[in-house]
Amino acid sequence: MDAAIGLYPQDHRRSAAMPLLHLWQEHFGFISDEAVLWIAEKLGLQPINILELVTFYPMFRQQPAGKTHIRVCCTLSCAMAGSFELMENLCADLGIQHQSDGEGIHNPIAVSADGNYSVEFVECLASCGTAPVCMIGEQLYEKVSPESAADILLNPQSAIRNPQFHSPHPLEHRLTFKNIGRADWTTDIDCYLHDGGYEQLKQGLTMSRSDIVNKVKNSGLRGRGGAGFSCGLKWSFIKPDEKRPVYLICNADESEPGTFKDRYIVHYDPHQLLEGILISCYALNAHTAYIYVRGEFPVGAKILERAIEEARAHNFVGKNILGSRFDTEIYVHRGAGAYICGEETGLIESLEGKRGYPRIKPPYFPAVLGLYMCPTIVNNVETLCHVKHIIAMGGAEYARLGRPNNTGTRIVCVSGDVQRPGYFEIEVGAVTMGQLIYEMAGGLRPGRKLKAVIPGGSSAKVLRADERFKLKRRQTDGSTVEREISIDEILMDFDSLTAAGSMAGSGGVIVLDDSRDMVWVLNNINEFYAHESCGQCTPCREGSLWMKKITDRMLRGGGVVEDPETLKTIGDNIAGRTICAFGEACAWPTQSFVEKFSEEFAARAQKPVPPPLPPEYTPEELIERDEISIAPLAHDPGWEKAGTAGTI
Amino acid sequence: MSDSTDTAPLLSNVQVDGVWHQFPKGTRVIEACEKAGSYVPRYCYHKKLSSPGNCRMCLIEMGFPRLGPDRKPELGADGKPIINWMPRPQISCAQDVAEGMAVRTNSPLVKECQRGVMEFLLINHPLDCPICDQAGECRLQEFSVDYGDSKSRFLENKVKKPKNVVLGPRVTLDDERCILCSRCIRFCQEIAHDDVLGFVDRGSYTVLTAHPGKRLENNYSLNTVDICPVGALTSTDFRFKMRVWFLKETKSICTSCATGCNTIIGTREDVIYRQTPRENDHVNSCWMCDYGRLNFYYLQSDQRLLEPQIRSEGKLVPTDWPSAIAQAALQLKQFSGPEIGIIASGRMTNEELWLTSQLAKSLGVQWIDIVPRREPGDDILLSEDRNPNTNGARLILGSTSEPGAKLMAIADAVKSGQVKALVILKENTMHLGIPVEQLAQLPAFIMVNILSNEATEKATVVLPACGFAEKRGSMINGRGRLQRLNRGVRPPGNARDDWEILRDLLQAVGGGDSLLSIDDVFRRISETVPQFAGLTLSKIGDLGVHILQMEELPPMHPSDEEKIEQAVAIQTTRRAIRQQLHDAPKAAAVGTH
Repeated sequence: MDAAIGLYPQDHRRSAAMPLLHLWQEHFGFISDEAVLWIAEKLGLQPINILELVTFYPMFRQQPAGKTHIRVCCTLSCAMAGSFELMENLCADLGIQHQSDGEGIHNPIAVSADGNYSVEFVECLASCGTAPVCMIGEQLYEKVSPESAADILLNPQSAIRNPQFHSPHPLEHRLTFKNIGRADWTTDIDCYLHDGGYEQLKQGLTMSRSDIVNKVKNSGLRGRGGAGFSCGLKWSFIKPDEKRPVYLICNADESEPGTFKDRYIVHYDPHQLLEGILISCYALNAHTAYIYVRGEFPVGAKILERAIEEARAHNFVGKNILGSRFDTEIYVHRGAGAYICGEETGLIESLEGKRGYPRIKPPYFPAVLGLYMCPTIVNNVETLCHVKHIIAMGGAEYARLGRPNNTGTRIVCVSGDVQRPGYFEIEVGAVTMGQLIYEMAGGLRPGRKLKAVIPGGSSAKVLRADERFKLKRRQTDGSTVEREISIDEILMDFDSLTAAGSMAGSGGVIVLDDSRDMVWVLNNINEFYAHESCGQCTPCREGSLWMKKITDRMLRGGGVVEDPETLKTIGDNIAGRTICAFGEACAWPTQSFVEKFSEEFAARAQKPVPPPLPPEYTPEELIERDEISIAPLAHDPGWEKAGTAGTI
Repeated sequence: MSDSTDTAPLLSNVQVDGVWHQFPKGTRVIEACEKAGSYVPRYCYHKKLSSPGNCRMCLIEMGFPRLGPDRKPELGADGKPIINWMPRPQISCAQDVAEGMAVRTNSPLVKECQRGVMEFLLINHPLDCPICDQAGECRLQEFSVDYGDSKSRFLENKVKKPKNVVLGPRVTLDDERCILCSRCIRFCQEIAHDDVLGFVDRGSYTVLTAHPGKRLENNYSLNTVDICPVGALTSTDFRFKMRVWFLKETKSICTSCATGCNTIIGTREDVIYRQTPRENDHVNSCWMCDYGRLNFYYLQSDQRLLEPQIRSEGKLVPTDWPSAIAQAALQLKQFSGPEIGIIASGRMTNEELWLTSQLAKSLGVQWIDIVPRREPGDDILLSEDRNPNTNGARLILGSTSEPGAKLMAIADAVKSGQVKALVILKENTMHLGIPVEQLAQLPAFIMVNILSNEATEKATVVLPACGFAEKRGSMINGRGRLQRLNRGVRPPGNARDDWEILRDLLQAVGGGDSLLSIDDVFRRISETVPQFAGLTLSKIGDLGVHILQMEELPPMHPSDEEKIEQAVAIQTTRRAIRQQLHDAPKAAAVGTH
């Protein structure tokens, strides 16, 4: 435990709260009251500071789970592939009564009578391409069909499938995913070195810092985490003569439903990521880098930790790296199941050992007042890997990949109703949506037609298959022409998807075929965002749950005529008015689904008045409530006098 | 003095709703709008706390002048800069004004934002205003009328949360009413330095709570009730006692220690229901301690002295005021100055102390002092000196020694029989260590007080007086600030205003003419005590006047993280000043013994 505390600056020991909670839970199985008090004491905090964390992060549990704990993903791609049926079957096989309905927020874990097994529905496990998935203990199980529930329980070892790799499609251009799925590839540093690894680090250390920053600027690299912000511009916010320590944070909290790219890099090519981080640290003069890896990647965290130790043994990490007099430490910090910690300021708060509440900007721009109020750069895993390739190719050469303002390659993750879901690394904008779905992902299942596509993670606005998009395209002579195109013709790049009214986001493409009920799809998405809203600011906290309650009621046949309009205006009242981009993330699906599939929503909203609400309180609860009285107050001795005879 | 500013602050030009104004640099946009007459509603923002920007109620439109190629603002047809408005609304609580900034506080977009936030805040709110203590002073109610819609679109069950949560001995929480603005959490962290409150769970299920093992029981806990914009945190003491709109509000000061926190006394029909702090940056910022706040019940105690009484045939019998005063004067006049002792109080007003000093002068009394009260204080507001007017006593009684230095000598003089007449003003003689039997032997034992105690029985004349909320007057706080008490309630029974009792007594022993009102008394003080020169009771004003050459505590500042160093420095200064105050009397005490 002391070692865990040592990873953080002496006056920021609070950061160790989450690592300590993880260690405690791994050892004792759950976080007891005693744990809260002990950890608070250990870190010089108040017990409430720890209790706040335990209840914010879903992975920390306050009750014991079964000896074998099963987490089943209930988010869109897995739900479409049958994860709810999987959960039902698991519960039936184990004899567990799972509270599928209701607000199981306070204890979502159901334990079997013998205490051997427990099940829990969790939000996206970032393996949408191999849906449905579940985690048994720390191990991820992919493509677990509902029928195979009994198999994985009986024989979990044999049920571990080899990772489902596929060889590159001809339309792909593998750069960061070059090594993923290679038969001879391991995560060992020797393997990486044999393949020419860490050459770019050596090269980078001979260059000047501004040279590297300029190369990244010239490359036109845009962030791959979701916002698509220019990486070079972000880096240039750090003053070259900065006096305070500069921190680099690698955002490996991949949690946007539909996205599962960083998982592969973390699990199968950790040294590429480390090399990218080290070059970036050097360019930014950052002596400490944290990899914030999502809690659901326990194996990935261990792989990264081992990789860091290997790199240290080769003097790529630590003091005086390769004789350059440059020092950098890289630490792995595990999240604990909060989507909001993918938001950079939420991540920073979480890394500081607090609830992942995003900060207001201004004034808390990470590059100015980031981690520990120091300048901080937060970059996505994939973005940092690209830095290595930019050094290798040179900025200008890299910029030739892809399209102007949409340079380089990026990984597109396809999931949902396609025959060959998975990841594809493409030159940005080099393939169309049609090519991606029909050629690369194998098209829809036989007899099915495309209904809609969510092109950039579940928060992106949905595109309807029969929609026509008016896109302006710049000609070579500089003039622009407007062209009407179909969904198949949209180029998979940042600008084209934005022009089509959605976004490239994190590159998670979720395909929906004509068998899908759009109210059901939206309800699943709403459930995700209502669960993941941090609850800090009003519109998102209240609006996300309200939208979920409405779609839920519509699904259960209680939709009233006003519901579509109400849903749309709730979305309008959230988007653009919250502290962070989660507001848009939770509003856009509702806004776009209701608008584009208005006929389906109207069909579900026929009732003139809503059905009676289920009783808010059970009779037992009402009796209990009546009996609640104000507990007698123990007045401090000093106050007794104040209340009666006075202090005369 | 600290009231005036030495340097003019730099000003920024800011357009608020189409009109250009100038504001000092560092002014929060939300404050600037208010100054310009455009109030921006807010829940989480509190000017003395950091700004988390979480309630989203203060969204406004913001823009900056469009710059031409020469980096100078482009001017429109009216010669004014053309504003580039930001597409998204911005919160006004976390940004300072900047040169050229323009804001709109009442545009259609802003109104839409306000309506949206109000709707969100109310969907899970229990709407139990008829039984809510906050009703009448609830921001949710007020802004709902001003900015909200009249009907609800919410058709679902509300989120259930804990109710009647006893957060600590003095604060009760209703989580369903809570709008999660985090003001109370920030207060506990930043002002009370007792990080006990926090949020658990998340999203719409987020709940405010304290850890079961550590309750909200610090001496400042009731301030969280004041700053709670809704009815979530309520004072266990005040809860369900009175609708706030019936309360008469009287501006006064707290008399429980030398800090003299500015207060509002809430009363109805001569009953005090609560005291709340009143903002004064020179004294208490927006806060006061629980101890002082709740220290008014003794005024409603059944031990109140209600009638003047005279000892007759070994028993105290009620009488009328003229007889009581005459009897007291008669008894005192039997003795020469050295045979009389006067125990005054640091809880008396300046006016009462001055009359006391005149009485002493008139009788030739040398044995006069006040009872010192020292108990542990803190670095926030509570002073070690629990007398509210030690400085007034020091100044007006004109004693050369420290207050309290002569006290034991007086007690010894009583015990030895040297002092035969004792006048006790608003103090309990039992604390002096004089045996009751000996007090009973005194031929003249005149007591002016509000509560009866063991010694009252032995008095020869008992004159019932007023408590702090029942009278006017002035006091000088521990940092040298002259402040005013005001009458919130009338005294019970036949109790009389202290200054009138003392004036009548003074007249009866031969002196004190033409003192018709308390203002006359104050005028006399201002003529004789140089520090009061030029002042009148009304000139003191609601916020007081700094009159002694003592360092005032720097005001408590909002502690945004970038201001943390500043806050730490202020804290250190405050501590150092308090330490000096703490050490000084000790040194003096050592010297006298």
